[in-house]
Amino acid sequence: MATISGVNLSSPRIMAKAAKTPKVQLLNVGWLRCSWKQSAQLGAIRLRVPPVHAAPDKISDKVEESIKNAEEACAGDPVSGECAAAWDEVEELSAAASHARDRKKESDPLESYCKDNPETEECRTYDN
Amino acid sequence: MAVCTVYTTQSLNSTFSSSIKSHLGFHQKNQQLVFLSSNGKKWGSSNKKDGHNTVTNNNSYLITCSAADQQTVVIGLAADSGCGKSTFMRRLTSVFGGAAEPPRGGNPDSNTLISDTTTVICLDDYHSLDRTGRKEKGVTALDPRANDFDLMYEQVKAIKSGVTVDKPIYNHVTGLLDPPELIKPPKILVIEGLHPMYDSRVRDLLDFSIYLDISNEVKFAWKIQRDMAERGHSLESIKASIEARKPDFDAYIDPQKQYADAVIEVLPTKLIPDDNEGKVLRVRLIMKEGVEFFNPVYLFDEGSTISWIPCGRKLTCSYPGIKFSYGPETYYGHEVSVLEMDGQFDRLDELIYVESHLSNLSTKFYGEVTQQMLKHSDFPGSNNGTGFFQTIVGLKIRDLYEQISASRAKAPVEVAKA
Repeated sequence: MATISGVNLSSPRIMAKAAKTPKVQLLNVGWLRCSWKQSAQLGAIRLRVPPVHAAPDKISDKVEESIKNAEEACAGDPVSGECAAAWDEVEELSAAASHARDRKKESDPLESYCKDNPETEECRTYDN
Repeated sequence: MAVCTVYTTQSLNSTFSSSIKSHLGFHQKNQQLVFLSSNGKKWGSSNKKDGHNTVTNNNSYLITCSAADQQTVVIGLAADSGCGKSTFMRRLTSVFGGAAEPPRGGNPDSNTLISDTTTVICLDDYHSLDRTGRKEKGVTALDPRANDFDLMYEQVKAIKSGVTVDKPIYNHVTGLLDPPELIKPPKILVIEGLHPMYDSRVRDLLDFSIYLDISNEVKFAWKIQRDMAERGHSLESIKASIEARKPDFDAYIDPQKQYADAVIEVLPTKLIPDDNEGKVLRVRLIMKEGVEFFNPVYLFDEGSTISWIPCGRKLTCSYPGIKFSYGPETYYGHEVSVLEMDGQFDRLDELIYVESHLSNLSTKFYGEVTQQMLKHSDFPGSNNGTGFFQTIVGLKIRDLYEQISASRAKAPVEVAKA
């Protein structure tokens, strides 16, 4: 959160109502993207970064749970606000899970290296 | 936040504009600003202490530094969740030059993307109710009551006039509002989400607006593709989610398309009878006439009605072929030009052949659309009208930005000469 703390700019800023926001930001799930970025600075060891599946799995659990909740919420009254809100939560989490999968794909160091250097030995693919 | 504007016409990939490039380490009070001309020669520098400073160098170029001088061009992109906003954003920022990435060192769950020229912010960050709040009140995120349009308006307005803002972050994983992040005024600000054109005050701030209109059949097919592998999901759950959200979607999201300068409609193909697989698509690019700095793309003859099958003796296409049409229409009472593509490209020569027959594409060289499409052939929709028209809209926005910059630069230069 370096960009937020200790900033001293002379110009006016429109502030979001920070009072409302709960202080949980650093307890969020650790993305692969994040750990990869830190380790990428060390260069040589980057290929040894173990794949972190925790984040997408955690979202997958949430998707599964939200579907169950939505089915329950709609059992009584399928046109209620609660039902719509519950299915909306499913949509939101499904989209987040899909984005997490995309990010994971992008952050694979071998994949990104091979995109730029497809001819190198470690990037060759063989049929049969 | 001081923004320095050099009054010469600049392209999107120009090397100066220090305020935008240095997203990190811009927090010192005193900064050395070095201006480089396009050939890399240093031609003026100043040590800045406050937000207003004027420097004249040996060559008598006028450089003024002030928060209000540079105006950010603001683009709105509206679409429902799961309708390809992220892909569109990746294509758009690629056309502008340089990949857009999340802010470095910030919240890993930030929804913002930053490139040299462009900042993309997600309007979910303006949710006034978090996930628990929405559940308690029984409202969806599509409902305006779940969103803070006052803050959205204030912050977009501030960024547009060169002021840095502290924007909240909506965390899509936890469903909570995280502490805010700093957003500095970029050259181009894209606001993407469910409601960029809902509030008339926000709408009036937009220099250009786009709506992605995905038909129900295609939306269903896309969500099956996206979600079927996810644990807990089934055809029933995907269908139930679309149906439960539909009343709010129809009430609050869909009506925004009447305000859009460009609409990309995605429909099932007509080339295969009774096709409902959603693999082959018919895509329509609806372009509003009379929008300043935006000249619609046309096929063969501007304003005529054209139907064109490029495949035949000169060009061989794979099944089910490609069909284009173009012509004037009316859309929500506005005069529009519509370019339609049904089918998909399976080979490079199909793509370049089609590109060479379109006019007003705002490309900088022959084959630029094709080049962009090839560069991102792994993105969804790269072989059909969705990717093709998204790329074209990206080029039109680049052109719009350059025209706006040029028109703003004109006046001060003339004053300086006098």
